[in-house]
Amino acid sequence: MEETELLRATGLEVGYGGEPVCAPVTLTVAAGTAVALVGPNGAGKSTVLQTMVGLLPPLAGSVSFAGRPVDEREAHFRRAVAGVLDDDAFFPSLTGEEHLLLTARGHGVVGAEQVVADQLAAFGLTERAGALPSQLSSGQRRRLALAGVLVRPARLLVLDEPERRLDTAMRRSLADRLAALVDAGVAVLFASHDPAFIGALADRVLVIGDDECPVVAPGDALAALQEG
Amino acid sequence: MLAAAPLATRAGDEWSGAAVRRFTRRATAARADTSWLTRAGDLLSGLTSAGVAVALCGGTVARLREQIAARPAADSAVLPGSLTAAAVALALAAALVALLARLGPVSATPAAAAWWLSLPAGRRGLLRGELRRVALLAGATAAAVGVPVALTLARTLTGVLVGVGAGALLAVAAVGALVLRQAAGRTRRVPAVAGVVTVAALAGPAAVGCLLAGAGGRLSAGGPGTVPEPVGLVLVGLLAVVAVLGLGLADRRLDRLPAGALRASGETVQYATASVLSLDTRELGRALRTAVRRPRRRRSWGWVHRPWQAVVAGDLAVLGRSPVRWGQLLAGGALPVLAARTEGLAELPALVAVAVVLGWGSAAVALGEPSRRAAAAPAADRSLPMAASEVVRVRVLVPVVVLAVVCGLSALLVGQGTGVPLGWLALGAAAAPAWAGAAVRAGYRPDLDWSGPVLSSPMGAVPVGVSATLVRGPDVGVLGTAPVALALLLGTVPPVLVAVQLGWSVALAAFAVLTAQPPD
Repeated sequence: MEETELLRATGLEVGYGGEPVCAPVTLTVAAGTAVALVGPNGAGKSTVLQTMVGLLPPLAGSVSFAGRPVDEREAHFRRAVAGVLDDDAFFPSLTGEEHLLLTARGHGVVGAEQVVADQLAAFGLTERAGALPSQLSSGQRRRLALAGVLVRPARLLVLDEPERRLDTAMRRSLADRLAALVDAGVAVLFASHDPAFIGALADRVLVIGDDECPVVAPGDALAALQEG
Repeated sequence: MLAAAPLATRAGDEWSGAAVRRFTRRATAARADTSWLTRAGDLLSGLTSAGVAVALCGGTVARLREQIAARPAADSAVLPGSLTAAAVALALAAALVALLARLGPVSATPAAAAWWLSLPAGRRGLLRGELRRVALLAGATAAAVGVPVALTLARTLTGVLVGVGAGALLAVAAVGALVLRQAAGRTRRVPAVAGVVTVAALAGPAAVGCLLAGAGGRLSAGGPGTVPEPVGLVLVGLLAVVAVLGLGLADRRLDRLPAGALRASGETVQYATASVLSLDTRELGRALRTAVRRPRRRRSWGWVHRPWQAVVAGDLAVLGRSPVRWGQLLAGGALPVLAARTEGLAELPALVAVAVVLGWGSAAVALGEPSRRAAAAPAADRSLPMAASEVVRVRVLVPVVVLAVVCGLSALLVGQGTGVPLGWLALGAAAAPAWAGAAVRAGYRPDLDWSGPVLSSPMGAVPVGVSATLVRGPDVGVLGTAPVALALLLGTVPPVLVAVQLGWSVALAAFAVLTAQPPD
């Protein structure tokens, strides 16, 4: 399958108040590939992800999606890019199922109710579909947030530590499902601390550091992760 | 088998912003336990309360007018009341603009940012309701705050209504203008500029008043209070056009608001709203505070050799890097001076004393910043080889020194023309320990106690435990200002009063420090 470049960051400096949090990032993410971001806590992985999807302005450099500068205010960008960057924000009066229906219908998904039901089942939330967020456990809310990006069409998924608060079986299931999506042509960019998750999904790994942010093969990154 | 994959879903008709809002509203309403009847009752109750407040305010202003008219004019009162009222109105308007800019003015709750702003629906449709809500709230706030100002400036009911209406429409127009700046990503400096306007609006007339009093001059009455009613009505009409135009333009730019900034503002709004609903003024201050400025040069703290010096150095760093606090000190010192130079206020020592309490209290709040920060995050203090009580004692040093200057100069200018400048200077400086103690006591107060008994009052139930906590800090300051109030009543400063003020103030400061409650 020919790789179509979706996301490109060139000399991208990210940070707050004019202060970069890590070395500049240069990276391309093609359709049908998965790139993992690794680095210690506080290295800047989340800041890089948020900047790449336009939630934070870059300090320097550029980031483009499908050949156009990233601008999350444009509807075409929001149609194509789905993300879970902050997973604990829910409308207190909407049930889990209603959150997913809102997303699916908002994106014009045909057969939204069936798609939502399928995702609820896949994430083991069918029994809790009518519960309010305050009635869900932390792990259930996490699964609901992840389901939110899978009930809608997307060309690129951007996930910040998707394995967080999931049990081992659910992590494995999620990795398998994301890998299947990658095979179907979706691009996935994710930050993770879990070597098994990275090993199951990533084609390449971006190592976030203070001095440089190299892109390496998963095997090299996993070896470094397991040593460190 | 895979559940629905992103690429496998077929695209149909996307929902518009209005449809998304409607879905969310209906789902929320389905679980709400409030009926239309309850809401109507709440509205009626709110309107009744507002009417009672306006009537009380009008009655108070009318009574004050009578009292002022019955007193001989003070020689040192050289500014017309209308000018001071206009200055206060300007300061309040600038403060409102700063607040609106700090809150967005348009914002999105974290939930809305996550579940609405990721949809392809246009943000104009999603955020239109929020824009209307903010504009309505800003207009209502401006109208409420404008009532006493309009009552002071205008002599007829039409005049009062024109003044209140103009204030409300100006606020709505300001919301429109701020949203245009927000869409361009240019609201960052607005709070700072508005802060400068607030300070200038209070300090400027106060300085002019002191210069005029020194030169034996006087400004004649005139200005806003004398605007003819037809002109006022035309002005309100024009402002209405500007407000509608501003909101219309703002509405067209809602699509350009970035999700990251909307969410950040939404988090601030949530924090501030929770603080208001729980009556926690200290948390409200934390919600609205601006970040400490990044230092231009690195400090080595070469003079710090002992733990207590580290506390002082930290406090100086917090204050030195918070320009908003410098403005607060200046405005706090200027407010009593402005009152003392204004016709109609200077004749009533009680009103000047109220201005003293408000102004010096504001300065104390500014200097309580290190205590509030330390109470919220005590880790740095705990790392020092000092007992928590000792840290609290040291923390009063910076406020004492700064307030001695602010209160001393403020009192000196308040007492201008009474013939004992050094007496007023000493009296003001002697009040500083009490307000410094107030700053530390308020910063280290315990969390609000909602478990205490509830007292029934004409304005509703009053939670006694909460009230007792909220007054911790200001109580000491107000008591410590009693000798200053006495001097204002006497119109001079007997030497013995300075000694009494100093002793009383130090005793209150000691009480405040001993009863401050650093976190365990």
